[in-house]
Amino acid sequence: MKIRRSQAGWHILLLFFVFVMLMPIIFAVSNSFKTLQDAFNTVFQVIPLNPTLENYIHVFERLPFFQITLNTFLIASTVTVFKTITSLFAAYSFVYFSYKGKGTIYFIMLTTMFIPFTVTMIPNYLLISKIGLRDSIWGVALPQLADVLGIFLLRQAMRGVPKALIEAAKLENVGNVKIMRDIIIPLVRPSIITTGIVFFINSWNEYVWPVLILKSKENYTLSLALQMYISSEGGTEFTIAMAVSVMTMLIPLILYIIFQRYIINTFTMSGIKG
Amino acid sequence: MKNIVFEHVVKAYGKNVIVKDLNMEIKEGERLILLGPSGCGKSTTLRMIAGLEELTEGNLYMDGRLVNHVACGNRDVSMVFQNYALFPHMTVRNNIIYGLKAHKMNPEEIEKRLSEVLGMLELKGLEERKPKDLSGGQRQRVALARAVVKRAGYFLLDEPLSNLDAQLRLRARKELVNIHSMYRPTMVYVTHDQIEAMTVGERIALMHEGKMEMLDTPSNVYSRPATVFCARFIGSPSMNIVEANYNSGVMSIGKQSVRLPEMWCRIADKNVSGRLYAGVRPEHVILLREKEEYAIEGTVRYVEDYGNRYGVYVHVEGDRNELIAIRDSDIPQPGEKIYIKVAFDKLHLFDRESEESLGYPDEIKKEREEYVYPD
Repeated sequence: MKIRRSQAGWHILLLFFVFVMLMPIIFAVSNSFKTLQDAFNTVFQVIPLNPTLENYIHVFERLPFFQITLNTFLIASTVTVFKTITSLFAAYSFVYFSYKGKGTIYFIMLTTMFIPFTVTMIPNYLLISKIGLRDSIWGVALPQLADVLGIFLLRQAMRGVPKALIEAAKLENVGNVKIMRDIIIPLVRPSIITTGIVFFINSWNEYVWPVLILKSKENYTLSLALQMYISSEGGTEFTIAMAVSVMTMLIPLILYIIFQRYIINTFTMSGIKG
Repeated sequence: MKNIVFEHVVKAYGKNVIVKDLNMEIKEGERLILLGPSGCGKSTTLRMIAGLEELTEGNLYMDGRLVNHVACGNRDVSMVFQNYALFPHMTVRNNIIYGLKAHKMNPEEIEKRLSEVLGMLELKGLEERKPKDLSGGQRQRVALARAVVKRAGYFLLDEPLSNLDAQLRLRARKELVNIHSMYRPTMVYVTHDQIEAMTVGERIALMHEGKMEMLDTPSNVYSRPATVFCARFIGSPSMNIVEANYNSGVMSIGKQSVRLPEMWCRIADKNVSGRLYAGVRPEHVILLREKEEYAIEGTVRYVEDYGNRYGVYVHVEGDRNELIAIRDSDIPQPGEKIYIKVAFDKLHLFDRESEESLGYPDEIKKEREEYVYPD
């Protein structure tokens, strides 16, 4: 590909950003295969001099690591599935039903997007404790089963579906649930998948809320496990922390590779043409 | 009786009244055209029949049954949408049979109907294509197939040909009429195109600003317009309409006067104020080089060449009006003085206040054709 001179500056800038983003990942992967000694001596060496799996073995021996990954996965997928489903139904009603106060309800829901997490953190904590879900992964998932962001994004996507398609189905006496299944979902699928991925990653990376709820190691999520090695308790074992980091990245990365064409689709498509 | 009856129907969005007190009966099996300029309420009227819009006031009966609150899926209607509304993610085949499957029809019958409709609309071989891989004409036929395959009692079309080019439109028009005559559903067809209305319709309901101006056969709508609006809307170039004052047998246009024949005096006498509009279609304006009885004076301003004929714009002496006359040959030149005459069996008179037709003399009325309803 030829690069015009006027564009060269932009390309250099973009390459710089790519480097800035890739650097920490390369750093983490490479150091996770080094011994602690090597890591301190040659911290920016990309290919480890004496590659070792010691850090990974250590993680699996010292922690219920499989359980921790499973916990994180369970929380993230529960949250994702519920958020997506509730968003779908809510968005459908906002787009295709007409009822009194629809605009007001939508506005109020949107404003909740701007309430900081710290405001609801304490009441939620108290509630979850009262229900007896403290130190349970379900306690982490429960307050996160619906999300305004998803309603907003899916509503936008559904508004791109021509109304006549819905009317054509209604004339055949097709009910709303079936219309959603047969017409809406196939047409807004890229948006659903993207929203789902955003939910999944957010939940996967979540730290403050799980740290409040989860106490015992076998209920930990990956970000809590990671924290163990970079906090004051074990801050020196940073190669192990890197190994945990790499494994934390792994599942979202695999998911991204599977769904990437939908994600790119959603960001490049402005709407669905009928 | 698959008829449709509108009884004082009003449709309003807030304060914006779209349809004002609509009364009409659409007979079983007829092809009725809802014609009018955009925003006249014709699409809204169609959508009320389909059940996609609720009535604000009044009653709507279909098949003798009050359907104000009957859901659109239970009205035995099929509809062709303006943009076809084909499901973009489904193949042609699935688009066509989606409704039948939703109605849980047995698979054999579905296949039978599908292959019949595919043959009828020349869609064989395209079954597995998606709408985006079809041409405009093919998409239109798929939309038609989807509506026809249901064999509903009511067949509604919302400007189904407006996205086609002129040649395809001609063909699709014939196709539509053929399909309708095959099983004669009650067909309501919305268009703003008068040619389409004339060629497809058995009757035309002409709407304007939410009101029905006229409901009659195409030829009556053309030759006996009920209002000034009808007169202007139908025909191209549209009818010449000039202000005229009538007083005991004499009609004056601007500063010129012309004597009206006896049969028209009887009609004009009915209007007490004498303030009229006189209308005559461009093709019925007679241009003369010599003065004759019943002729008025004018000057040629401009001549338009339509290829096969000419439009002559004539300024009427002593008036601000300009008339258009259609001529095939012997074209006068701009600036030329000319005399204008009207064939009196082609004259139209309207009240200037109500803009309604004053009617027609009995002598020419007998030509008027009566609409024969299909059995």
